[in-house]
Amino acid sequence: MKLHSLITLSLAVSVLVTPALAQKSGKDVYGKTCAVCHATGIAGAPKYGNAGDWSPRIAGGTGRLYGSALKGTPKGMPAKGGNPSYSDAEVKAAVDYMLAAVKTAAKPTATPPQNPVAKEEPKPEPKVATSTPKVDKAEPTPTAAAAMAEAVPVGDVNAFNRLLKPLGKRNPPPPEDGIHDPANDGTHALLPPLTAYAGLPKSLAGNRVNWVEAIGTKKINPRWDRTDPKAEPVVMDLNIVREVKGSMPDVVYPHKQHTEWLDCSNCHPAIFVPQKGANAISMAAILLGEKCGVCHGKVAFPVSECRLCHSKKKDLARPAQAAASVAK
Amino acid sequence: MEKLYGMRKGGRLMACLMAVLAMLFVDLPEAHAEYGDVVINNYSDGAGMRPVIFPHWFHRVRFRCKVCHADIGFKFQAGGNEINMVKIIDGQYCGACHNGEIAWSVENCNLCHSAKPGTKTQVHESTIQKLARPATTPANK
Repeated sequence: MKLHSLITLSLAVSVLVTPALAQKSGKDVYGKTCAVCHATGIAGAPKYGNAGDWSPRIAGGTGRLYGSALKGTPKGMPAKGGNPSYSDAEVKAAVDYMLAAVKTAAKPTATPPQNPVAKEEPKPEPKVATSTPKVDKAEPTPTAAAAMAEAVPVGDVNAFNRLLKPLGKRNPPPPEDGIHDPANDGTHALLPPLTAYAGLPKSLAGNRVNWVEAIGTKKINPRWDRTDPKAEPVVMDLNIVREVKGSMPDVVYPHKQHTEWLDCSNCHPAIFVPQKGANAISMAAILLGEKCGVCHGKVAFPVSECRLCHSKKKDLARPAQAAASVAK
Repeated sequence: MEKLYGMRKGGRLMACLMAVLAMLFVDLPEAHAEYGDVVINNYSDGAGMRPVIFPHWFHRVRFRCKVCHADIGFKFQAGGNEINMVKIIDGQYCGACHNGEIAWSVENCNLCHSAKPGTKTQVHESTIQKLARPATTPANK
């Protein structure tokens, strides 16, 4: 009898719980769909967290915003963000989520400091369902279930490029980025990276900003001295060519781009002995954060950009060498 | 749901069942912070503060690497500088600029101490961190 009642109970629970969990929170819907345009402001979409974009729309009333989100607008907003599988409540929750970001961003300093816990709560009901397991995890004594949840691979396992960062999740604003605490009032006062990157030359990796070009074209002019804005770097224009094993093109190391940012003492002599042939550099060492990897793969462009360093074709260098030896 | 929790005998089973269901339907929060963000948690957690997040990108727009890494003396190692608030107020490390003159001063605790509690010291998005590891181990170490 006991068993029977348990089974019916668990069945009842699964029936009750499943639709509630299947309902996505505003944040999830935003992350999966809305962020594609609203994170960056593509096609005139009001940008997430940008009060200037949102205030005229908020003035029209939340009801109208819901309507635009559900039915689309002639300006380019597709109905339900182009995903008709969302329920109306899910779409509205996503709108609420985006509105909440603007409202919190508008008054970051007005809120009293030291209020760490109870801030993320004022959000629509659908959130409750999905936030349950998070609450579970935040408990001081982690349950076995929470430990298991850590170990289970999530998301669509057969998704294309499963381990890469999806388009909508690049350069998110601090409250969204997964390491900043959204319950911290200071987090909402921080500058979203994309705001700073507007107008800077782009790249394919790292911050997705080409910092070298940004400084070369004077898009940014970071100080060379802590206090003196007029101090200029001592730029040294000397290329070092390293012949490498295998079929990869040889590495050309340009002092010029490095001395724009760094002092000689940053690299010499601790990381690189300033003497030809004295430095054993391997990609393994770089991947593990040594040699070039002290910066490249942490702040400077990462090792995925092979050809930025391996830039001197060998088949051009070899015949030249051969010709030189013949001439002798 | 409260009603179900109230039933003591089925409570544990129910919790397990719900946890399993939850895992099926809910994406775990993933970190997508900015490349080069440094989390420093040498002392913060122990002192009941949120760990510090240092945004490299924000600072490199304003200062060249040399200013902090040669003049001020930050080592190229996350968590390797043993920074504490006494040193900062004394004008060392962050305090060389965050003194109310070059940049805002130490009273804005929550602008730096802004990480989720328990976040480990790391260079976020670094190559080491991103080396693919088996799906059965936690992604961020």
